[in-house]
Amino acid sequence: MELVIGDVQKRFGAVEALRGVSLTVPSGEFFAILGPSGAGKTTLLRIIAGIEKPDGGRILIGGRDLNDLPVRARDTAMVFQTFALYPHLSTFENLAYPLREAKVPREDIKRRVAEVAEMLRLTHTLARKPSTLSGGEQQRCAIGRALIRRPKLLLLDEPLTNLDAKLRHDTRAEFKRLHRELRTTTIVYATPDQLEALSMGARVGVLRQGRITQVDTPSALYETPDDDFVASLVGDPPINLVPGTLRESGGGRSIDLPFLGLDASPWRGALGGFPAGTKLTVGLRPQAIWPAVAAEAGPRFPARVYLTEPLGDVTILDIVAGGDTRLRMVLPQEQAYRIAVDDAIECAVDPDQICLFAQETGTSIRRTAMGARAEAAA
Amino acid sequence: MSKRDIRAVGIAGWGRTLGAAIISLIYFFPVLFIILTAFKTRQDALAWPMKFIFAPTLSNFVSVFFRTSVEGGDAEATGFGLYFFNSVFIGGTSVLLALIIGTAAAYGFSRFPLRGNDTYLFMILTTRMMPPIIAIIPIFVLFRIFGLSGTYVGIIALYTAFNLPFSVWMVKSFFDDLDRDIEDAARMDGSGEWRVFKKICLPQVYAGLAATFVFAVILTWNEFVFALMLTSPETRTVPAQIVRTIGGSMGVDWGLMSALETLFIIPVVLVTFALQNQLLRGVTFGTIRR
Repeated sequence: MELVIGDVQKRFGAVEALRGVSLTVPSGEFFAILGPSGAGKTTLLRIIAGIEKPDGGRILIGGRDLNDLPVRARDTAMVFQTFALYPHLSTFENLAYPLREAKVPREDIKRRVAEVAEMLRLTHTLARKPSTLSGGEQQRCAIGRALIRRPKLLLLDEPLTNLDAKLRHDTRAEFKRLHRELRTTTIVYATPDQLEALSMGARVGVLRQGRITQVDTPSALYETPDDDFVASLVGDPPINLVPGTLRESGGGRSIDLPFLGLDASPWRGALGGFPAGTKLTVGLRPQAIWPAVAAEAGPRFPARVYLTEPLGDVTILDIVAGGDTRLRMVLPQEQAYRIAVDDAIECAVDPDQICLFAQETGTSIRRTAMGARAEAAA
Repeated sequence: MSKRDIRAVGIAGWGRTLGAAIISLIYFFPVLFIILTAFKTRQDALAWPMKFIFAPTLSNFVSVFFRTSVEGGDAEATGFGLYFFNSVFIGGTSVLLALIIGTAAAYGFSRFPLRGNDTYLFMILTTRMMPPIIAIIPIFVLFRIFGLSGTYVGIIALYTAFNLPFSVWMVKSFFDDLDRDIEDAARMDGSGEWRVFKKICLPQVYAGLAATFVFAVILTWNEFVFALMLTSPETRTVPAQIVRTIGGSMGVDWGLMSALETLFIIPVVLVTFALQNQLLRGVTFGTIRR
């Protein structure tokens, strides 16, 4: 079922939780809402669920206004961050509850609970109370309770936050699989974890202080973030954001970083309107920096290794360049093993992976595309 | 269990058990004294030093219900059967009523707060801030005007009113502690407000209701002043009659008094034991999670 959110606002006293959120999620899409805690994710989901009333704006589910739909006709289910299982009821009764409330015949309840329990590997827990279930079982029970009504719209509020790391990884994969199997079910998945959002969402909406700042595919969010906030939220380890200044030099324009001068020509179209001296923020992905090989062309700079974090397959290096600028870089283990703390190293940067933002507004300054370059010059 | 654990239980555990036993005994001693005295003859009861070993007799318990007067003659019923019934009936009914009304009020205060919610809650509690004896004259007058003196309705209504503030506050705290997401989940699952209350919230506070019930029962069971002044011979409760049993021309019959008191505590002990598990969960609500 298609979900349309139009300019939804919500205040709690002096706090503006949502400041005009608009979104369209087509039927059957897995849509992720990514935002730090306090961004308004839960409020947005609760409004879509109909638990909370918005102060303004409207919600359309399958083309019908939420306000016109009684709870039962909404075909919406939600999995809460705390799972919100009924503590006094067994797994069976937890799963059966929505069906009982919908007055489904007894025999059908038995059959459907058995089906869902089978699918979510809960059959052995049916007689037990939630407090005796493991974290993973509790979570599957919460999902089962949401799925048993066969909702057309499934809302998931940080469903993995209360699980341990290993379980989180397994469950992530299961969610994706589940979505494939449900096919027509639209899923809205709220999470503060960029990994979850990017790995599961067909599209991701970034929520910041009650506003949607960017809606895009995971790869677009990573490669062409709309602002420095999205850039810093997406990618692991987080992107290096370095202050820079636009300079006019003999041949053309360049961007001065504390440790490096960059040729500004890839951005000349978008930078056209900025005078020399404009403060910029330069985003360098940790993956786009590596120890330079002697013959390598392109921008490079000297640095000192501050600390190393070996993670097994890769090592994260914290380096200091240009006096006191701390940068993070990621190296495969085979390149990192001979680098030690306090080593002086020469680093190279891939200029194609650099993102540029106006420092004042944080908005992205787009690279001039190959085809558009001539256009911009004209 | 490792070796170290066994030793820890061995030494520290014994010490702790011994300490607990001594403290419990100090607390329990007056009750023990009463129970022992209940089984003693008049001579044994008055003997000094106190006798721990004696030939037990049930005559005191018989005397509770049937007694010959000092002048002799046939044993007469003392009416204590009725007084015990009255205590159970009046106490049970008023506590249940207070719990039912209190639970409804508590849910309202907790989930559908009014403007000035806290003020109302405070006002409810103020009635328990002074000794009830202060209110005895107005209540006495009211009972006279409305013809409630000596009636079941009167004393039950009074006890219900006394138990309400306590019930409202205590049960509200249990409702306040519940996870609201669970109720929202039930609403999404199609439950109306009444079903949310009945099927979701209420079952989660059963332990708390049991704890409230026990505390209220104990308070009501032991109430003396109002029972003395506002009940008639037909509606009199045990505490109000015990006081009339003290004394007499031959001095205090300690054996009889003790037998009465022993019988008197049995119902409370039974209620407490029956609800023991619930009670423990109820009073530790919020500090121990599930």
